[in-house]
Parts: sequence; C-alpha cells; structure tokens
Amino acid sequence: MRARPYLLLVPALAALAIFAAAFALFVTVSFSTATPGTVLTHGPATLANYRSVLASPLARDTAITTLRLAGLMTLLTALLGYPLAYVLARSPSRLLRRTVLFGLVVTFLSGGVTRAYAWLIILGNKGLINQTLVALGLSPVKLAYNETGVTIGVVHFLLPFFVLTLLAALKNIPLSLEEAARNLGASRWQVFIRVVLPLSIPGLVSAASLSFAGALSAFLFPELLGGGRVHMASNVIYETILTDFNLPRVAAMAALFLVLALAALALLGLLQRRSAHLWAGAGAKT
Amino acid sequence: MNAPRSYSTPVAALAGLVMAFILLPVAFIALYAFNESGYLRLPPQGLTFHWFANFFAIARFRAALEASLIVSAVVAPACLLIAVPAALALARYRFPGRDAINALIMSPLVVPGVVIGISFLSLSARVGTGLGLVPIIVAMTCFAFPFAVRALAANLHGLDPRLEEAARNLGASRFNAFLFVTLPQLRPGLLAGGIFVFVEAIDNFSIAVFLTNARITTLPVESYSYIRDFDDPTVAAMAVLLMSLSAVLVFAIDRLVGLDRFLELK
Repeated sequence: MRARPYLLLVPALAALAIFAAAFALFVTVSFSTATPGTVLTHGPATLANYRSVLASPLARDTAITTLRLAGLMTLLTALLGYPLAYVLARSPSRLLRRTVLFGLVVTFLSGGVTRAYAWLIILGNKGLINQTLVALGLSPVKLAYNETGVTIGVVHFLLPFFVLTLLAALKNIPLSLEEAARNLGASRWQVFIRVVLPLSIPGLVSAASLSFAGALSAFLFPELLGGGRVHMASNVIYETILTDFNLPRVAAMAALFLVLALAALALLGLLQRRSAHLWAGAGAKT
Repeated sequence: MNAPRSYSTPVAALAGLVMAFILLPVAFIALYAFNESGYLRLPPQGLTFHWFANFFAIARFRAALEASLIVSAVVAPACLLIAVPAALALARYRFPGRDAINALIMSPLVVPGVVIGISFLSLSARVGTGLGLVPIIVAMTCFAFPFAVRALAANLHGLDPRLEEAARNLGASRFNAFLFVTLPQLRPGLLAGGIFVFVEAIDNFSIAVFLTNARITTLPVESYSYIRDFDDPTVAAMAVLLMSLSAVLVFAIDRLVGLDRFLELK
C-alpha cells in the first residue's frame, strides 16, 4: 500500500503543523505594531521593528558577544572533553568506563537549573571558592556575575553532550591502527597527532557543532550566572519582553537571532560534510 | 606481549580532573542540601532534612512540582505515540519526500528555546488559550518528539525486518506482527526516547518561562524565581530529589537495556 508511510507520518506532521503555525504567527507578529497596553498587535505590515532592532547598539553588541562566547565555550569544551572521551574509549577497565558513564549520564539528566544553581553556590561572591580564598588570607576574586562564571557554567553543561558524542566516534577507530603505529616506533604523541586526531575529525566536528548550538542558545546560565551583565541573545530577548511587553519588537529580535543561529549552524554543517568527505578516504567513515 | 596503553599518565590525570570538574557541582549541591545554615562552609556543619521539609511546605513549590509532573507525564507518552509510527515510516519504507520529511521532523531541534517560547506565546495570544499547562504541553510535545523519533529510528535500523515478515508468513496480521514481534524489540528505543523526553520536559526552562504566569509555573521556572529572591538551600534540596530520580532512572536503564546501548540510541 503506497499511502501507508504517509499515514504513519500523520501524527508527526500534525505536530509539525502546529509548530509551523506558531512559527508563522511569530514571524507575522514581527512585522506588526503593538497595541499599547494589550498583548494584541495590529497591521499594516511594517519593517519598523527590524529597523529599530538593527539600529540599536545593544543588538550588535549582543550578536558579537553571543558568537564570541559560544565560540570560546565550544573551544574550551573540546579541549577539556577530548582527553576524557579518549581515555574513556581506550581504558582497559570496564569498571572505570561504567562508573564514568554513570556519572556523566546522571549529571546530564540532573537538569539545568540544578547545575546553574550549584555553580552560583561555588562561584558566587560569598561562594565556596571565595570563602576558601578569604580563609587563606587571599583577596576574593570575581567569578560570578560576569563572563567567567557564564563560561564555566555553560562549558560544564556542554561537556556530557560533547564527551558522549565524541566517544561514539572514537570507539569506531580500530585500536590496531594505533598499535601498528606504536610498533613502528611512533611515540604516543605522534600516534595521537598523525593517526587518532585526523581519524576523529568528523566526530570531533559533529560534537563541536552540537556544543556550539547549545552555547548559542544558552539562556539559563547567562541569566543566573551573568547577573544581567552578560548579554547573550536569549537573555536580551527575555529581558526585553519583561521590561516592555512589546511582542512585535521582541519577535523581530528573535527572528534575527534565529537567522544568525541557523547561518552559523549551516556553516558548521558544511564543515562537517567537508571533513567527513575529506577523511572518508582515510577509512574514517562515520 | 602486553599492548602499550594508548594514553600517558598525564593525559589520564587530565581526564580525571575534567571528570572531577563535571561531578563537582553535583557533589556540592548534595552537601549544601543537608547543611544546617544557609551558607555552605567546609567541612559542612550539622545534618538536617529541614530544607527538604521546607521545599514541600511552600505551596508554590508543591503546585509547580505537580504542574511539572503533569506536563512530563503527558508529554512523554504523547511524544512516543507520535514518534513510533513516524520512526516506522522513516526506517522501514522508501517513499518520495522521505529525506525532506526526515529533515523537517528534526528541524525543531536546531531552533533556540527562546524562539520556540516566543512562537508559542504568539500562538496562545492569538488562539486565546492564555498561558498555562495546555500551551506548555503542546509546545513541549512539538519541540521534544524529534528526540523520540531519533531514538526509535536508530533502534529500528538495528532490527531484522525478516522477523516480522516471518510472523506475517505464519499468518499474523500486520498489526499483530507489529504488536507481538516488533514492539517488544523496540523496548530500548522506547525507554531511551521516553526518558529523554521526560527529562527534557521536566527540566525545560527556556520555553516554559514564556508560557507560565504568576498563577501557574513549572518547577524550573519556580526554582529560578526562588533563587532570585531567597538565599537558602531549599532549591538544593529539590535538586537532590531530582538527581536521585535521575540516578534511579539510569540504574533502571542499565538493568533493562545496558548503558552503552542506551547511549548509542540517544
């Protein structure tokens, strides 16, 4: 029966239709004008919201901060996550692997608010680190309510995603390749740079794009750990809607943010396909 | 000959440090939840369940917990009901438009949560439902069901379709063959997808914050506003409860399908 797969897809397509309707409505709203004092909006279609958002220095500042911080967070996540994923993939101990996996998944499932709050207790002005510093007779450092705190929180949030994604790719690299290189006299470092790293590029890029997408849309961590001083896109949008309930203007901001995010992700997707293609010849088909 | 270890001791130590960094907040939140005073000092002073009692004593937290549990309990099965037939269609059939539909189904996953929140806020303002549980449930279902499709499709790709064909040849109806042969084999995917959606729904902040109001909130939104107003371990106690729940879930996953297998389906 030719129609069967389409029938099976009806519920999913219905859910997507609701999603698309909400989406279309929000784009329409971004071209309308707010009726003061209500949640309602009225026509005619106008580009005024986009013009005013694009003209505001805050929007430009926010776009740059968001991209810069997301890039930094992704880089740090990759630098910290790679060694852990590698040791996890190559450890001879089954117990160690299971224990670490258990810890990763529990952390992963433990929720965003929990973790943001935990970092607030640790990094806050009267937090654990600063209490310790003061007790040791040192001067306290500012770790929360700035970019440092937000970066620590988001990197911590992204690490389980990154490690679990990269782990799957690293496990697919045959150990025999590394052993052969070692037997032929290469040092561990040479094996890593010449064999493991090139073969893991597709997995690394896919784990990094996942992290970058997460960092771009970070909301809770900048909100709690940034203390209103770190302007990432999601926070600025949320704070704008809280301060003046101008839905059309906020919708225009969100639409521009979406375009920015999708463009950045499309670029990474391109990189991912290129790298997968490039290394496919080397036997690293993922 | 003993194969040389792939990594040197410094690399192993670095990995250990990173793991310690990952576990650090989880460990501290647990200490803080049982701490007598509002400030955490090391070593922790006193041992109390006061903050757990306080969490349940606050009416707003009780209401938020109830709302979050209702949302997750509706969203997780709803997503599975949508995802099972969709995954079957995508994994078992070749038909025109298959790749496009697959890409379309996965598209909600790349949209930032705040944008989804504003979209559904616009929708509920237009439809006139107002804010509250119904728009949250609808938004969370539309956003989260792709996770379940992905887990189930991965599961289906690993199955042998000949088993179902054999059942059909032996006279089972198409529906019975699915129900008694394929569905039992989908247990890992149902579990992985269901748990992922459940956690996503109970923990979601960025969509829910736009769809809640002063009367109806969910747990993440309520704890966020509590953290802003009060400085005591009540939210830490809540966090310990949620983390215990996720630890139990992980144990259950490991028992039922094995942790390695679960992670491959995510």
